[in-house]
Amino acid sequence: MLLKRICWVFSFVFLASLAVQAAPTIEEGKNLFTANCAACHAKNMRDNLTGPALAGLDDRWAAYPRADLYAWIRNSQAMVASGHPRAVELWNQWKPTPMNSFTGLTDDQIESIVLYINDAATAKPQGPVTPEASADGTESSGNMWLFASLALILALLAFALMRIIDNLGNITRVQAGEVPVQRTFFQVLTTKGSIAFLVFALTLIFGYKTVDNATRMGRSQNYQPDQPIAFSHKLHAGANKIDCQYCHDSARRSKHSLIPGSNTCMNCHAAVKKGTQTGTSEITKIFASIGFDPIANKYIPDYDGWSEQQIADLYKKWIGQEYMSANSLAAMNDAGRSAVETQWEGVLKALKDDSNGRIQGPIEWVRVHNLPDHAYFNHAQHVAIGQIACQKCHGTVEEMEIVYQYSSLGMGWCINCHRETEVKFNDNEYYKQYARYHEELKAGVRTKVTVADIGGLECQKCHY
Amino acid sequence: MHHDNGIWVSSDDLNREENFLQSAEKEFSVENIAETDGHWTASRRDFLKLMGFGLGAATVAASCEIPVKKAIPYVTKPDEIVPGIANYFASSFVNGGDYCAVLVKTREGRPIKIEGNTLSSVTSGGTSARAQAMVLSLYDNRRIKHAGTVENGAVNKLSWADLDNKVKGQMQLGGNIRLITHTLLSPTAKLALAEFMAKYPSTKVVTYDPVSSAALLIANEQCFGVRAIPTYKFGEAEVVVSFGADFLGTWISPLEYARDYAAKRKIKSVEGATMSRHYQVESHMSLTGSNADHRIQIKPSEIGAAVCALYNAVATLVGADSVGNLPLNGRAKAALTRVAAELVANRGKSLVVCGSNNVMEQVLVNKINDLLGNVNSTIDFSVLNNLRQGDEREIARLIGEMKAGQVSIAIVWGANPAYELPNAAEFKEAFANVNTRISFSGILDETTALCSHAAPAHHQLESWGDAEPKTGHYSLQQPTIAPLFDTRQAELSLLEWAESVNLNRQDEQPYYQYLKSHWASDLFAKQTRYSTPAAFWDMSLHDGVLELPPTPRIAEYNQGIFLNAAGVTQPASSEVEISFYETVHIGNGQYAHNPWLQEMPDPVNRTVWGNYLSIPVEWDGVNNINGWKGLNDGDNVEVEIKGRKHTCTVVRTFGQLAGTVAIALGGGRESGGCGVGFGVNVNPWLSVAGGLIHYFATDVKVSGKAGVDKHFACVQHHHTMGVQAMGKEEGKIINADEKSLGYKGFQGSLTDRSIIFQVNLSALPELAEQMAEFHREAKHLNEQTLYPDQTGYFGTGLKWGMYIDLNACIGCGACQVACVSENNVPVVGKNEVNRHHEMAWLRIDRYFYGDLENPRVVYQPMMCQHCDNAPCENVCPVNATNHSMEGINQMAYNRCIGTRYCANNCPYKVRRFNWLDYTTADTWPGNEEMIFTADSDDKPFYADNLVRMVLNPDVTVRSRGVIEKCSFCIQRIQEGKLTAKRENRAILDNDVRTACQTSCPTGAIVFGNLNDPASAVNKAREEAGDIAYHVLEEINVRPGVTYSAKVRNANEELFS
Repeated sequence: MLLKRICWVFSFVFLASLAVQAAPTIEEGKNLFTANCAACHAKNMRDNLTGPALAGLDDRWAAYPRADLYAWIRNSQAMVASGHPRAVELWNQWKPTPMNSFTGLTDDQIESIVLYINDAATAKPQGPVTPEASADGTESSGNMWLFASLALILALLAFALMRIIDNLGNITRVQAGEVPVQRTFFQVLTTKGSIAFLVFALTLIFGYKTVDNATRMGRSQNYQPDQPIAFSHKLHAGANKIDCQYCHDSARRSKHSLIPGSNTCMNCHAAVKKGTQTGTSEITKIFASIGFDPIANKYIPDYDGWSEQQIADLYKKWIGQEYMSANSLAAMNDAGRSAVETQWEGVLKALKDDSNGRIQGPIEWVRVHNLPDHAYFNHAQHVAIGQIACQKCHGTVEEMEIVYQYSSLGMGWCINCHRETEVKFNDNEYYKQYARYHEELKAGVRTKVTVADIGGLECQKCHY
Repeated sequence: MHHDNGIWVSSDDLNREENFLQSAEKEFSVENIAETDGHWTASRRDFLKLMGFGLGAATVAASCEIPVKKAIPYVTKPDEIVPGIANYFASSFVNGGDYCAVLVKTREGRPIKIEGNTLSSVTSGGTSARAQAMVLSLYDNRRIKHAGTVENGAVNKLSWADLDNKVKGQMQLGGNIRLITHTLLSPTAKLALAEFMAKYPSTKVVTYDPVSSAALLIANEQCFGVRAIPTYKFGEAEVVVSFGADFLGTWISPLEYARDYAAKRKIKSVEGATMSRHYQVESHMSLTGSNADHRIQIKPSEIGAAVCALYNAVATLVGADSVGNLPLNGRAKAALTRVAAELVANRGKSLVVCGSNNVMEQVLVNKINDLLGNVNSTIDFSVLNNLRQGDEREIARLIGEMKAGQVSIAIVWGANPAYELPNAAEFKEAFANVNTRISFSGILDETTALCSHAAPAHHQLESWGDAEPKTGHYSLQQPTIAPLFDTRQAELSLLEWAESVNLNRQDEQPYYQYLKSHWASDLFAKQTRYSTPAAFWDMSLHDGVLELPPTPRIAEYNQGIFLNAAGVTQPASSEVEISFYETVHIGNGQYAHNPWLQEMPDPVNRTVWGNYLSIPVEWDGVNNINGWKGLNDGDNVEVEIKGRKHTCTVVRTFGQLAGTVAIALGGGRESGGCGVGFGVNVNPWLSVAGGLIHYFATDVKVSGKAGVDKHFACVQHHHTMGVQAMGKEEGKIINADEKSLGYKGFQGSLTDRSIIFQVNLSALPELAEQMAEFHREAKHLNEQTLYPDQTGYFGTGLKWGMYIDLNACIGCGACQVACVSENNVPVVGKNEVNRHHEMAWLRIDRYFYGDLENPRVVYQPMMCQHCDNAPCENVCPVNATNHSMEGINQMAYNRCIGTRYCANNCPYKVRRFNWLDYTTADTWPGNEEMIFTADSDDKPFYADNLVRMVLNPDVTVRSRGVIEKCSFCIQRIQEGKLTAKRENRAILDNDVRTACQTSCPTGAIVFGNLNDPASAVNKAREEAGDIAYHVLEEINVRPGVTYSAKVRNANEELFS
C-alpha cells in the first residue's frame, strides 16, 4: 500500500513537470513572436506594418477549424492555392507580399504565440510601467509559474511523507498494543514544526521579494511610452538607413546622445513634407514647432508672434489641401473636414504647452532611457572610444516602430558588460601608459584587456 | 605649557584646555543639539511613529509608477552648444576696483564656474574667492527683477519706457545731477558717461572706493605728478616692507602682487635657495602679515611714527634730511632701524608700500622709495594701475551740496554710500533732500532702499562691458546668459537718458554695438596685431584681454615737497585702540550677500558668517595663555567708540598687539540679501581726518563679558588632527594610543605630529637632513607590515597625486570657494557651522609657530589625502569608500549608509557628513527648519530653483545621511581622460587640473599623474627633495598629497 502511494506521488510529480513544460505559455509565445513574427507584425498588435495587425486573430479564424490556422502559418501560399476562403481573402488584401512559411512551429508553439498575441493586444497600451523585468533581461513570470508548481509538488510530497510517518508510527503502536493516534489534517498543520516552517518560509519569501523589488525599483525595461509624434525608427533607421548619429549627433562627443532639434528634422522634411505611413498628420507637427510654411515652402519669419488661430489656419489649410489632392477631390467634403480636424487635434495634443498655451517651441518627447542622478554615463566614451554599436544597449532600434527600453540599464547589466568587453587596447595611444598590460600581452600571459582590467568596475568611474 | 615643536593652532591648544581637547577629539559636535532651533526630542514613541511612517512611505514609494520624464530638444539647436559639453567664455570680473580676468564655464547656457584667464598679465590665470563666488550672486532671487519706483523697501514695477520718460522729464527740468560711483574701470562706460555729461552739463561724477586709497593717489600726484597708482614689482624686490598694506589679500591688485610675491619665495631647490624678505608693520594680523618673515607690531595710531622712524633711519644712512621723531614703541623702533639698514643694502631691489590713508605718510613712503632708488625700478610708472580712483572728499562735498538742496538728481551706480560711509547717517539725511534718486543697483541695498527710482543693472555675467585695470591692459566682459530678470545695462540707461545718437536702438543689443564700435574706433588703431576691425574684435573677445605695449615712462620725484612729521598720524595715548580691516571675502560689505563667501572662513581668525572682534592673547610667562580680560572665544562684549555702542563677539587672536583690538569691515548689512543680520556695521566707527577715512580708532571702551554668542561660528577647532584623552589616574592629558603603545610621538597631540615642518632659510639644509632622517624612519616603520606590497597595483596606467607648496600658499581661500563651486558643496549656515557641520571639502588649516606674542603662520590646504593605505576604507561596513587603481579614494554616495566610521578613522579629518538635507535633495518637512534659510526667506536656500542653477551637473548632489569628501575633482579627471582618448594621445598635465589648482593665484597646487616621470607634480616633488613630505607620514597611510616644509627668510642676526 505504501509503495503504491509513493509511486502515485512520483508519477504525479513527473506528469506535472511534463505539463509545465508542454503547455503553451505567454512567455514562450513572446520569444517565438520576437524571433519569427516581429519583423513583419507590429508588436503592439494593433498597427499594420509589412504584415497585418494580429489583434483579434482568434475571432477572424473562429469560423474555421484550428488546424487551418496552423496550416496557414506553416505554409500560407499552399493554402491560398488550395482556395481556402480566409486565405484567399487575406491574400487579396495583402498581395503581392506573401507571408513567410514557418514549417518548424508545432501546434503548441503556435498556441503560445496566439496566447501572447491576445495578451499583448489586451495589455494596457503604453504609458509608464511598473518594473516587471529582472536585471538580466529575462521575464520572471514564467519561472514563477514553475516554482509555484514545484512548491505545490513538494508540499504534496511532504504531506505524503507525513502521512507515511504517521502510519508507520501507528503500526508500531498497534504492534505495541497501544491505541493508534489519528491526527486530522488541521492538527498536522498546526504543529509547532509546521508553523515554524511557515514563518521561516514567509520571512524568506518576503525578504527575497523586498530586496528584489527594491533593487528593481525605478527600472523600466520594455518601457514604451506614447510619443508626441508617431516617429518610426523602423522607417528612418531601418528602411531609409539613416545613420543613428545623423540625428543623435552628440553621442560621439558628449555624455548626452541628444534628441535632435526640429531644425535637424527639417534638413530632410523641408523636402519630404508627407509621410509614407502617416501622411500629413505627423510631419505637420514639426512644421508647427519650428514655423515652416509647407505651402509657400519657406520659414515664417515672425512665427514667434503668431496667434494660435493664425497657426491653425495655415496648417489646417495645408492638411486639407493635401487631403484633397490625395483623394483627388475638387472640393472639400465632410470626411475631409473631419480628417483635418482630427489631424489638427493631434498637432495640438503634441505641441501645445500646458503652461503657456503656445504651439511654437520644442517638441516634448517622452524620455525612454532614464538613469538615476547618481549614475554618470557618457555616450562619447562608449560610442567614440569603445566603438560599441548603439544596438548593443538600445536593441535593434532600426526595427522598432516605437522605441522601447531594450536593456534593463541596471548596474549589474553595466558591470557585466565591463567585465566582458575588451578594450581597444592597441588602437589608441592613450592606452600606451598601461605598460604592464602591454608586456603581459606580448609575453602571452594575458590574452586580452577588459574594461574591468583598467578600472571599469570602480565606483567612481560612474558615481561622482 | 606644551608646544614641543613650537607649532600651535590656538591658546586652547597651547593650554591643553579640556574643552579644546574635547572639541578637537569630537569630529562632529553634538553639543547644543537640544538647544538649536529644531527642538529635537526623540522618544521611543517618536521613533516608532517615524519608523511606521518610514515603512509606509517606502511602501507608497515602491508602488508608485515611475514618473514620466520629458526630453525636450531645441527647436533650432545653436551650433556652439552641445548638451553635456561645457563652453568657456573669456570675460572679466569687475566690481568697483576689484578686477580679475576670467573664463566663465557654462553648461547648457548656464554659467556655473569661474576659471582664471591665463592670457592676462595682470592676473595670470589666478582668481580670488570673490571672483569665484560671482556665479552664485547671479542666481539670487533677491535681485531686483524690474525697473520701478522704490517705496517702503519694495520696487513697484514700471516699464523701462515709463521709467525713461519720468527720468528724462526730471533731467530736462535742469538742476544739478550727481553720479555716485566706486572706481570705474570701463573705458566704454566712461565714454557713455561723457555723452551723458555732454547732454546734461550740470552733471558731476563722484567717485569713492569702499575701502579708500585716496591718500596714495594724492601723494603720488604730489610726488610724481601722476594721480595714479604705479605698478609695484613684488617679484623684483629682495626686501619688501609693508606698513599695513594687505597686498596679498585686499590692497589694490592682490592677485598680481600675490603671484609675483610667491614666485620670489618658492624654493626651487634646497641647495642655494633664495627668497625675498618681507617685513610687515601692523597691529592686527592681516593675511599679508601672517605671511611675513617679520611682523613689527605697532598700535594703529603709531603708523605715522613708524613711517617717520623708517624714513629717518633710511635718511640717516643715505645722508638725507630727516623729519622729526614721534614716540614709537621701543621694539618697533629698534626693528625699523635694522630694516632700514637692510633696505639701504638692497637699493633699487627693495620695495616699501603703505596701506594707510594719510597723505603725509604716503609721501614719506614715496620719499623712502626714492631714496632707496626703487622708483623706476621696483616701482614702475610706465604702466599705471587704475584699480583705485576714488576720493572720499568728493562725497563729503556732495553731502554738503545735497544738504544745501543744490542737487536735484542723484544716480547711484555700483556704490552703496548709505552703508559704506562712516557718516552714512549724514548721507542718508542729505540724500533725502534730492528730488530724484536713481539706483542702478541690482539688489535692494541700503542706498537703493532710499532711492525714488530703481533702474536695476544686469549682473556682470549678463553684461557687455570692458575694463582697463592697468593702462594699456584692456579686458572685455561678455554676457554668458540672457538676463534672468527685466534688468538693463547701466551704461545703456545712461545713453538712453542722454538720448545718444550713437546708440542703435533698433539693434537687439545696442550696448554691444556701442562697445564694439568704441573698440573699433579707439583701440583698433592702437594695436598692430590685427589688420581688420572684425578680426581684432573677434580675437579680443576670444582672448578676453588686449594688452598694448607700454610706453616707458620715467617718474621724477618732486624734491620740492615739504616733509614733516606733523602731517602724519600722531600717536594716541588711549588704553585700547582698534583697527578696522578688510577681509579677502567680504570686502566692505560688497560681498556680504554671497553665502559662499560668508561661509568661507576669515583666513587668520577662521570665523565665518559675520565679523568678530579680534582680541589679543596674553601669556602669563609660565604656563597659561589667556584671552585679554579673561575673555573666551564666543563671548560677547560691549564696544563703545565715539559714543556708539555695539555688541561684538570676540575671538582670541595671536599676533594681535596687546592694547589693540581689531574687527573686520563689512558686517551688519541691513538689506539686500542673505548677509543681513550677520555681524556688526563698524563703518560709523571709522574716523575721518583731513577729509580722508582712517581705518582705526582710539579711545575704545571694551566691556567685560556680556553674554555669549550661542552660535559662535569659528572653524578653528573643527576637524583638527588629534586624538587625545584626559588620563584618569594622572589627571593630565595623555594620548590613549600613546599610553598603550608605550612610546611618545606615534599618535601624539595635534601639533606634535608631523603635520607642519618649518624652518628659517638659513637652516634649510639642516632641516632637509633631519627630514631625510624622518623619511627613513617613517619608511622603516611603514615597512613593518604583514600585508603584501601593493605598489605594483598602481604601477601601470595612471596614479593621481598632488603637491602643495606651503611657501607659495598665502591662505587667500580662492581654492576653497572654487572647490565649493565645482563640487556642489552645500552652504550650511552659521548655526550649523557652530555645530561643526560645515561641509567644505577643502579647508585651509592655519598653524602658528615662533614667538607666542608675535607668531608666524603656516597655511596648509587640507583635503582628502587619497591614502593608498586608507584607514577609512577598511572600516566601511558597506564598502562605500574604496580605492581605485588610479590611486583615488573613492566615495560612492549611493552606497553610503551613514555610519561615519570612515570619518572617525580618518587621521586628517577631511570627511564631511550630511547631517541634514542641506541641498534639499529630498526635503522632508521635518528637516527644513534647520537647513540654512536666508533671512526673510520662506524656504531653504537650496530649495530655490534659481539657486540650483549654479549646481555642476556632472557632480551628484548629495542627500542627507551620507559622507562626502574631496574626490580630486574626479569629474575633471574623467573628462581629461576622455579628451586624451578622443585625441588618440597620452594624457598630459593640462588635461586634468583640479578646481583648487586652477583657482590658485600663486600656483601653490600642482596636480598630475605620478606614474609619469615627466609630469609637473613629479617635477615639483623632486625639486623640493627632502623637504617634501606627507602629513603624518609615519602612520603608514601612504597619502597621495605631498606638502613642502614652510621656509621663512627671517633675519635672525638682527632679530634674535
